[in-house]
Amino acid sequence: MTAGPCLNPLHWPLHVKAPLLVAVLTVLASMIISEVALSRLAQNQKIQLERLAGAYLDGLSNAILPQLVRRDIWEAFDALDRANAHYEGLKARYTIVALADGSVLAASDPARFPVSTPVPATLVARLANGGMVIDEARARAWIRREITADDVPLGAIYAEIDLSEQIAERRSVLAMLVTVNSALTLLFAVVGYLVVRYMLRPVMVLGTHIEHIRGGTPEPIAAAEIARQGPEFAALFRRFNAMVAAIDERELLAQRLAEEEKIALLGKLASGMAHEVNNPLGGMMTTVDTLRKHGADPRVRRTSLDLLARGLAGIRNVVRAALVTYKGTADPSHLSRGDLDDLKFLVQHEIAHRHLRLDWRNGMPDTVAVDGTAMRQAALNLLLNACAASPEGGVVEVTARTAGGALLFSVTDRGPGLPPPVAALYRTRSSEDLPAPGTSGLGAWTAVRLVTGMGGRFEVETSPETGTRLTIVVQLATEDGLDAVA
Amino acid sequence: MKAPTRQGRALGFGLTRRQIIAGGASALALPHLARAATPKRVTFGLTPVFLDSDIRLLADLERYLSARIERPVSLVKRRTYQEITLMLLSGQLDAAWICGFPYIQYRDRLSLVAVPLYNGQPLYRSYLIVNTKVDAQSFSDLRGTVHAFSDPDSNSGFLVTRALLAGIGERPETYFKRSFFTYGHRNVIRAVAAALAEGGSVDGYVWEVVKTIEPRLTNRTRVIRRSEWLGFPPVACNAMARDKAVTRAIARALLDMPRDPLGRRILKTLHLDGFTPGEPALFDGIARLYASVRAQA
Repeated sequence: MTAGPCLNPLHWPLHVKAPLLVAVLTVLASMIISEVALSRLAQNQKIQLERLAGAYLDGLSNAILPQLVRRDIWEAFDALDRANAHYEGLKARYTIVALADGSVLAASDPARFPVSTPVPATLVARLANGGMVIDEARARAWIRREITADDVPLGAIYAEIDLSEQIAERRSVLAMLVTVNSALTLLFAVVGYLVVRYMLRPVMVLGTHIEHIRGGTPEPIAAAEIARQGPEFAALFRRFNAMVAAIDERELLAQRLAEEEKIALLGKLASGMAHEVNNPLGGMMTTVDTLRKHGADPRVRRTSLDLLARGLAGIRNVVRAALVTYKGTADPSHLSRGDLDDLKFLVQHEIAHRHLRLDWRNGMPDTVAVDGTAMRQAALNLLLNACAASPEGGVVEVTARTAGGALLFSVTDRGPGLPPPVAALYRTRSSEDLPAPGTSGLGAWTAVRLVTGMGGRFEVETSPETGTRLTIVVQLATEDGLDAVA
Repeated sequence: MKAPTRQGRALGFGLTRRQIIAGGASALALPHLARAATPKRVTFGLTPVFLDSDIRLLADLERYLSARIERPVSLVKRRTYQEITLMLLSGQLDAAWICGFPYIQYRDRLSLVAVPLYNGQPLYRSYLIVNTKVDAQSFSDLRGTVHAFSDPDSNSGFLVTRALLAGIGERPETYFKRSFFTYGHRNVIRAVAAALAEGGSVDGYVWEVVKTIEPRLTNRTRVIRRSEWLGFPPVACNAMARDKAVTRAIARALLDMPRDPLGRRILKTLHLDGFTPGEPALFDGIARLYASVRAQA
């Protein structure tokens, strides 16, 4: 299971990540510093305790030695009493002067360690391996000093030291470190957040403008905004504005080229239409002459009128198809079956001219929810290209159907197949990825632009042997989508 | 070690001949000092029977005696009674505040100068005290305990208890688990209060005065026995100097103390009423105690 975008720190915004990183680093640094400081303090306290204990025991040993020799209880007690009053740096909870036989000669707390009783075994055992034992958990230390004279053991001094002040001092230092470090961490985090946010502001401005490009409405960054930036971002913003200007320029060029293509196509169609209109016109003129001469004959008159009607109907179909294609229908958000069928009239000149056979199979419903105008223009481009690519007397197959919520319009020719750049052009999936016009056929470029603009795509099957089949796949709009279009 | 330190001295066998000869030799040197241009300095010995820890009191006493005697006075302090007694016997001191026990031991060589009046009487008592946590009601309950004495030459701090033991055929080393000397009555109170010793023998006058000055110390002790009234520790001089002008001047200064503001302040600090010339018979009680101990020895 992977973390969601919100939980995965890699997906967090930079203006959150950077201050957090500063805070985490500060906390880490403060923890390390605190650890080092406390450990050093503990070390110093131990050294200081050892020194103090050493000094305490040295002083006491000198005072106690004669009393041990004389086994003078009172003087030993008096020495302990005075020592505890004078050694303020060392807080002895109790001190015991023991004779060589392990019995108490005197203790600072005689009620607890009565004269002539054995030194507690636990104390002796605790100090069996050393002169000082520290128990930090209980804030206690125990020390022992053997007292000898001329290598003759006279006794020992035992003491229990209260370390609560040292522990309290360490806790106080820890509390101070935690407080100061917490305050500094918070301060650094806030300052870091604000500084990084301020530093990232130009990036955010750039991001917003790049989003505009994705939305198809590129906008240059305002001059005032550029003036507020440092030299690096100001240069970057100026380069961005240059890029936006280039995009605008390319768009204008594309539009102009598309318009020119449209006009060129129109000219081509117009000549075809003139031809289509001219063909029946000759027959119709002859029929009119026949009518003039033999109009009295009812059979001739009927036949002539039928001929005239058929000729006029052909002309009407051609004109209507041109009008629908270039002026649009009443409902541009839909494509009717008839609208698509009209394309036959627009290409019949090309078909006839090259002695082609048009295999037209329109199986689409009466109407489908696609952009009719764009779809017809794209389909006409495909048809004209197929006619141009087909060999004399060849067959051009057209099928239209819906499947899986999409309109599929295919044009197949028996031509030599598409050149690789044109095939690559047809495989373009997004209008943003569309290369600049001019590198390939303008008709193909226009068709791809129209289809990708509708959110559709091409399926391309092409080879020099079998020819080319291009299929436009356009997803049908939902009712909501239709409403939005309407 | 069971026997108390310096127990031999406590039995009153007196000073050794060597000590007396040494003291005498020192005394012979004094006339040489008398030839100095300034008046001869008067030396006044003090023992721990006295509240000798009060520095201001010592300064007052020195100033008072100097003024009254009209000669510079030096107060001489030593740790033990024995040292002061030796100095007095050897003539190194003009007078000294000693205990009744040394006075009895050297009655033929010492002479009374004055005896303090405590509660109007030249008398005091010895106390047997115990730590308040010790459940002892009488002297017999102290058998097998640790006991603190003051000084082997102290009447109240040793002789009285020693005589009690002699009366039942016991000695400190047989009666007590352990005993030791603290060389000061206040130290006996400290030792018992701190539970270093379960019981102690102390000067009743000192215990009462400490009770008013340091009640926190005496509050941890309890008196379980008070002795009969005995002669208060006297100020004595070498018997040979009894009739010397300086001795008479010291006696007069002490006796006149209640009539002098500084003297009254000293007496107030000491919780004493004044001084009286005193009679040797005042110390007969101590003599009897000494005799009983000697009899046992």
